[in-house]
Amino acid sequence: MILQLLAGNLIHGLLLGGVYGLATMGLSLIFGVMNVVNVGHGAFIMVGAFITLTLFSVLGISPVLAIPVALLMGMALGFFFFYTVMRRLIKAPELASLLATFAIGILLEEVVKLIFGADFRGYNWGLGKIVLPITVIPLSKIYAFIGSIVIALFLYFWFSKTRLGTAVRAVVEDSEGARVCGVNVGWIYALSFAIGIGLTVMSGVMLTMFIPVGINPYMGGVYTLKAFVIAVLGGLSSPYGAFFAGLIFGLIENGAYVLFAQIPGVAPFPLTVSLAFWMLFFLLLIKPTGLLGKK
Amino acid sequence: MVKYYPLIPVLAIYLVMFLIGFYIEGMWQMVALLAFYCALGQSWNIFMGMTGYVDFGYVTFIALGTYGMALGISYTHQYEWLGIGIIFIGLILALFLASLSALLESFIALRLRGAYFAIACIGINEGLKHFIEGARIWGGSDGIIFYGALIQAFGRETSNHLTAFWADFAVFIIAALAAILNIYYMRSKIGYALTAVREDEDAAKVMGINTTKYKTIAFLTSGLLGAAVGAFAWGVKLAHVYPGDVFVIHYTIECIVVVLLGGAGTLLGPVVGGLVYGLSKYWLAVVLPGFQLLVFAPIIIIIIVVFPEGIIGFVKQKTKSTPLARYII
Amino acid sequence: MKKCYLTTGIIFLVLFGFLLTTNALAVDKVVIGHPACLSGKYAKAGEQAIGGIKACIDWVNNVYGGVLIDGKRIPVKYKYYDSESKKEGVTSLIERLITVDKVNVVFSSYSSGLTLAGAPVAERYNMLYMDHGGASDRIFQQGFQYIVQTIGPGSKYHVGTLNMFNHFDPKARRVALAYEDSEFARMTMRGAEEHATKLGYKIVFKRTYPKGVTDLTPLLSDLKANKPDIVIGGGHYEDGQLFARQMSDLDINVKGLSLVASATLPAYYKALGGRTAEGVMGPSHWEYGVTYSAEGAKKVGLDWIGPDQDEFVSRFKKALGKDMIPDYHAAEAGAQVLAYVKAAENINSLAPDKVRAALGKLKFMSFYGGWDVDDTGMQIGHSMVDMQWQNGKRFIVWPLEAATGKLVYPKPKF
Repeated sequence: MILQLLAGNLIHGLLLGGVYGLATMGLSLIFGVMNVVNVGHGAFIMVGAFITLTLFSVLGISPVLAIPVALLMGMALGFFFFYTVMRRLIKAPELASLLATFAIGILLEEVVKLIFGADFRGYNWGLGKIVLPITVIPLSKIYAFIGSIVIALFLYFWFSKTRLGTAVRAVVEDSEGARVCGVNVGWIYALSFAIGIGLTVMSGVMLTMFIPVGINPYMGGVYTLKAFVIAVLGGLSSPYGAFFAGLIFGLIENGAYVLFAQIPGVAPFPLTVSLAFWMLFFLLLIKPTGLLGKK
Repeated sequence: MVKYYPLIPVLAIYLVMFLIGFYIEGMWQMVALLAFYCALGQSWNIFMGMTGYVDFGYVTFIALGTYGMALGISYTHQYEWLGIGIIFIGLILALFLASLSALLESFIALRLRGAYFAIACIGINEGLKHFIEGARIWGGSDGIIFYGALIQAFGRETSNHLTAFWADFAVFIIAALAAILNIYYMRSKIGYALTAVREDEDAAKVMGINTTKYKTIAFLTSGLLGAAVGAFAWGVKLAHVYPGDVFVIHYTIECIVVVLLGGAGTLLGPVVGGLVYGLSKYWLAVVLPGFQLLVFAPIIIIIIVVFPEGIIGFVKQKTKSTPLARYII
Repeated sequence: MKKCYLTTGIIFLVLFGFLLTTNALAVDKVVIGHPACLSGKYAKAGEQAIGGIKACIDWVNNVYGGVLIDGKRIPVKYKYYDSESKKEGVTSLIERLITVDKVNVVFSSYSSGLTLAGAPVAERYNMLYMDHGGASDRIFQQGFQYIVQTIGPGSKYHVGTLNMFNHFDPKARRVALAYEDSEFARMTMRGAEEHATKLGYKIVFKRTYPKGVTDLTPLLSDLKANKPDIVIGGGHYEDGQLFARQMSDLDINVKGLSLVASATLPAYYKALGGRTAEGVMGPSHWEYGVTYSAEGAKKVGLDWIGPDQDEFVSRFKKALGKDMIPDYHAAEAGAQVLAYVKAAENINSLAPDKVRAALGKLKFMSFYGGWDVDDTGMQIGHSMVDMQWQNGKRFIVWPLEAATGKLVYPKPKF
């Protein structure tokens, strides 16, 4: 009985973890390249959710097709904010950019509220489900998981096989060195910021495929926190590390519930979340630079 | 004495704020709001300004301070002979809880570098919040409501003054204390050691500076001040605490914003930042209810683009070789 | 110590002077102050409350003619600021409303936490503080003197629901409780648990989930394994949507599902894409379609004041400039305006302490239903209804005397 529950939850946790992973990669990329902590991360996820919602409920376009739209719109937002705000802050003290991303996050939330109102919205894709003996899985969750993996792999190849991707990695390693080698560092900054935001907005689409309800202008806060923790768990500035850390986080968040539920007199769900956050702490004790972080 | 001159503008601003609040009707709560932001900024700045370490989990201290006060008052209010002493018991409990967590965090987290440290502290904060809710300690998610306890202990009149006046007054005292401690540290051995840490931690270690010890001192001071602010501004003043309302990372981000608006690592910065942040929020909420954040966000962006070093950082550069310079750091 | 006396003295002087000035001035308007939640996490409820208040003020001024004090009709004005759903905002804005805008009554923000945050300031200025959004019973155990509640206490939410299930299907005995881990929802849970035990229900599952949760799968899998007949729970908007959505995802089909707060809103049905919301129920303080009327009030011997339901709805739409149906947040805020007007007229004064005393004695009925508070200011006169989604429409199914439709039971499969 317990084992059955545990197995079912682990499957759901794995699926969710994949989406968490994707939702964190953008944050890691931006931090890795520009050393910018994007505290407005969740707001960009929210934008992705609203793009999906609008395309689906107004134009009837499938969420799968919303993925490229979200990427493009996200990149456009990324370029816009880079050239209007972030570019001026590259030489400023490290934390000045944090303040800017904080304000950008608020701005996005308020603009979306102005357009869509503060209602909690949702959509119903109604794709059907797979019924397993231990649990039931909606197909949309599986699509979201597969989509996340495909995008992560795509990013991996882009980084390791293309010239531009290699240039980005060079900037992560040593921006001065890259500049000396003739890399246009300014352009790499702009591009990475745009790709990072694009990824984040896109992950908003995946998240709504997973959880298609509760979409509202202030939904991002929870994801910002989780993304921060997952990013560090994976070793900051390492997008793949973030992806694996996301998987682990999802597994703990779903799996530990069954174990805590055996303790009488406590509320297992908050304890599960508590453990997921404290995991980070324990891991950093053993490996101070996260899972895939380099010294 | 000359080295303490920069305290003059800071304390003068606090005094003016206090007088405005005290003598002009209807200004007290607004001034208290500003003092709250200033005090938080100043306390947070002690650690960050001197070490360059950003603590995202800072709100843990404020929250634990609130809990300390709540526990102190709700457990001891029935002992009449304690009188006003229960507030002090609450404060001591607040400081105790905060120092416990500060020591635990510094033991583990201060061994981490940069962003790892910053975000590990978020993990602690969220973990603690959900632990309180999950393990049902300290009232769990029901929180502690203790206005009734205050009335029982002090009577209606006094509790009223406590919540609506003395709690805010205490925040002023803490803000001033934070400023004094800040400059004292800057001008003492601790300050020099921490400057060395900020510039190059490895080199400082090689030179024989016990970096962990000095970092812990600054961390503890900053955390305890935060806890004291929490104990009064959220504890005594609001007379209730829910875990979901206090362990909120957003408040850390507000601390950072306040400090950066004014200028990180400066003494006057958090005060100016707190004033700018608090005033613009308050007035916009009054003038444009519902749309204030839409205006507020671009203002923040513009300030940080124009003054990347913060307002005081900018003023400091402009006044570098003028007589004003010794009042501004 | 001297300073303490000085402070006390000055505060008293200020207060005294303040009282004098308000009394001395010829009263030409009644001002309602409100530190509203227009942005932040309670923005949705805040918008509704503002609409409801504006609608009722509109009615009082233009239909009723104003508040009758000393034989003169005085218009009602409304002053609101945005507290951003944050406790820091509430205290300073309430003080501003009281001292600068010289309001006659302050309406609380939303939620128990924000209501509690503002209460000490209101007490300090001896200002009447009316609570239309804080459902915690414990607010009224603290000894606040100036607070009066309009919404019913949290512990009552699912009591009627359980009575209803007991009435329609005495055989379904297995009930599961799954609430949000917030003070309000836990209070509902305690009330529900107590009542379920009294009715002889078997509680097969009892769990809470944290605020701001984005995935309920582990909890719901556990719930499914316990095979309940009836599931009651919920807490807020987003988790209520998530609850039904993921129950459907996990194929958990039960005979009855009732969720607090979220299920009663039109947005709920839309967000779930219709089908998933079919048959879902929710307890509500007020719902479009309730049948409170002036005649009904006469029958039970209560005074009636205020617009009837259709008029309230049309004025609500006008106030917000949107084609939006008000929900219970709007209705309770609006009813609060009417309660204030009624109490002020009864005592023929606007002095907060007098109106507070009059509110304590007041019993009346409006489109919102009955109104009566106990000695601490807690609402005891208002009873709740249970609604259910049927083919995209909301029907009141309990209590039977207020019902606008028949209960669909067991609920349709997801």
